[in-house]
Amino acid sequence: MMSEPQERAIETSQQRHARHQGMEASEVLDVVEKSFSGNPKAMQYFYDLFRDVYCNGVKTHSGKETIGTMCVQIPDEIIHAAGGIPVRMCNGFYTDEEIGGEFMPAKSCSLVKASLGMLKSETNPYSDGIKTIVNPTTCDQKKKAAGMMREMGYQVYDMELPPVKESEEGREYWRRSVRKFTQEVTRITGKKITKKGLKETIRKVGQAQIAYHRLNDLRKHTPVPILGKDIFMLTNAYFFDDLECWTQAAEALCGEIEQRVANGFNAAGRHSPRIIFTGSPPVFPNLKIPLMIELADGVIVADETCSSNRLLNDMVSVDEWFMYDMVDAVADRYLKSCTCPIFTMNDDRIRRLIDLYRSFHADGVIYQAFSGCSVYEMEQRSVAKAMEKEGIPMLYIETDYSPSGTGQLSTRIEAFMESLKARRRNKR
Amino acid sequence: MNIKARIDRLDWRRFRFWLQLAAFLLLVYGGRLAIDLGQSLPTFACGYNRGATAGVCYLLPLQHQLAQPWSRLFSPAGLEVLGGLGLFLLWFVVLNKAWCGFICPLGTIQDWITGLRKKLGIRYSSYTDEQFNQLRLIKYALLLLLIFIPLGIGGQFLSHDWGTPFCQICPARMVIPLFNGDFSQWVINFSSTGKMILTAIGMFITGLFFVGSFLKKRFFCFFCPMSAFHYIFSKFALFKLKKEGSKCTVCGDCYRVCDMQIKPIADNVTKKDILMDDCILCLKCVAACPEEGALRVDILGKPIFEATKDGFVKRMGMEKKQ
Repeated sequence: MMSEPQERAIETSQQRHARHQGMEASEVLDVVEKSFSGNPKAMQYFYDLFRDVYCNGVKTHSGKETIGTMCVQIPDEIIHAAGGIPVRMCNGFYTDEEIGGEFMPAKSCSLVKASLGMLKSETNPYSDGIKTIVNPTTCDQKKKAAGMMREMGYQVYDMELPPVKESEEGREYWRRSVRKFTQEVTRITGKKITKKGLKETIRKVGQAQIAYHRLNDLRKHTPVPILGKDIFMLTNAYFFDDLECWTQAAEALCGEIEQRVANGFNAAGRHSPRIIFTGSPPVFPNLKIPLMIELADGVIVADETCSSNRLLNDMVSVDEWFMYDMVDAVADRYLKSCTCPIFTMNDDRIRRLIDLYRSFHADGVIYQAFSGCSVYEMEQRSVAKAMEKEGIPMLYIETDYSPSGTGQLSTRIEAFMESLKARRRNKR
Repeated sequence: MNIKARIDRLDWRRFRFWLQLAAFLLLVYGGRLAIDLGQSLPTFACGYNRGATAGVCYLLPLQHQLAQPWSRLFSPAGLEVLGGLGLFLLWFVVLNKAWCGFICPLGTIQDWITGLRKKLGIRYSSYTDEQFNQLRLIKYALLLLLIFIPLGIGGQFLSHDWGTPFCQICPARMVIPLFNGDFSQWVINFSSTGKMILTAIGMFITGLFFVGSFLKKRFFCFFCPMSAFHYIFSKFALFKLKKEGSKCTVCGDCYRVCDMQIKPIADNVTKKDILMDDCILCLKCVAACPEEGALRVDILGKPIFEATKDGFVKRMGMEKKQ
């Protein structure tokens, strides 16, 4: 929101940044809310949440110990159990990317630049201030970003993630990382993690996941009862919302969508191609490609990204409810099934895409890679090959956060949609 | 809710506890009620539990039969060996290795010891990959020994003092009679060198059994020759453990709850018949799998218990408190 200029007061750089951020957020929110008819009523909670946080300066976690996390592998359950609040710092603002650009080479990932930009500008939208950032050793750019964050004065905890997840050595290495982190995080928050506390937060995160799964399963229906852009909004809100508030709102949404399914409600068009979205993560407000897809009469029925499905899909399974087993179980959740492209092998990701394609009755896959996100760019080849072998149409899009050049992208997406429709007609 | 959906939501841990207890009581005390299930049971219903066991572990008569003089063993009279084996197979094909996970009294005792460890809040131990791959061969070595030593006796290469060699070193011989107050097996037999060596090893292994199963879940099963023997025939069993690789996210939940540390249950996404040689078919993996239909149990090709999200959530205690 525009802050009224005080008497002759000059807008500080932070104020200006917040204003730009607000403008960018509100532009996207307007599209999300107003360019589509029949938004679920329960989505209003999420639309309002984004507007509050990014446009109206409302802090979701004022007065609480928030801990910034840089990737999907940082165990939320453990941070919650230590009385901290995990806030995912992966950022989608073009405004921030411009600021972050000074730290990174020109051809680097928009998301990393934008995250650095947000940290640099110190306009933390979520809480009064974030001191600690937990940065897992995932891709090279995130790894090197840690040094820059330190330079900015943040306390950065490097959480070591192995580059190979299949081996027993890799698993043990990660378990040790998580065990060490479990001790470290109590030092940060000053609160001990108890057996009961961790069990409770595993349950709470589990309940959020259950709500997500419930909703996700409903997207298997034809006609599809909810648009993908709303799911991205919902899962993006998980980055920073209060855990229990989020679960409650997601459950309310589930109820409404279940009703829609019962009534045979169609959230998309009559012949909308059903799309699986994969690749570099859409993070609000960079919902450029998902919105383009759904404005071009497509509908995203499922995704394989770390800002959405991978964030909530896999649940913790504990055999013995003691610290030793709970912490290891939490560790396993974040490593074994992770389909992040930073790992040496990624057969799991391909199998996952094929399974999603089949079980969500999809027509095609759209693969987004941020230019400079080398791991996703490199994996494109093997994924495209596997999709071709399975006879799954795939569109590969290289993009970034910049608002220019959308004309060409939308033309390609529209053409892909038309080809999927034609393909379906021919099949019949 | 239909029966299948009810089974899928079952609190597997509790169900298994009671089933194991019932099987334990039947096998360890059933003889007192004149129950006799014969001499070919594919599980450690120990024959040394005299007057109380409800049947006899097949390994005891097998070793006896193989120790006959060769002239007899390789004559038509030797067909009785095949008869015993046939009966063993009849018992076995019905339940496959679920004999281990649900019925074996020695397995049940180990689960109780694990329960004690849990009560004390002590962490379990596990083998590294290398240890696993080396130690897993022991059960095959024991199986070969329990076949070839009796054959050697029959061929007069070895004295009868080496008779029923596996039973002499099996912890069940010492542990199971205890439940009927019988301590008579807790001796080292000095009557001959062979007996002395075997019973001394038996004493040592029994000690190891208690310590090992306290530290490691199902410690002994990993070395059990019965388990190796089962595996030879498990392809023909009616009861099957199946995996649908395409539905598996390789999250490893099944592997991490596995008492036997069987890694392929999580990592192998191509094999449909996922029963491995160490498996005890306790079905903890199916109960811990959050992916709809990724793991399941079939009887005669019909699924009777399947991994479901719903069941997983219930078993993990993540359902909404009402």
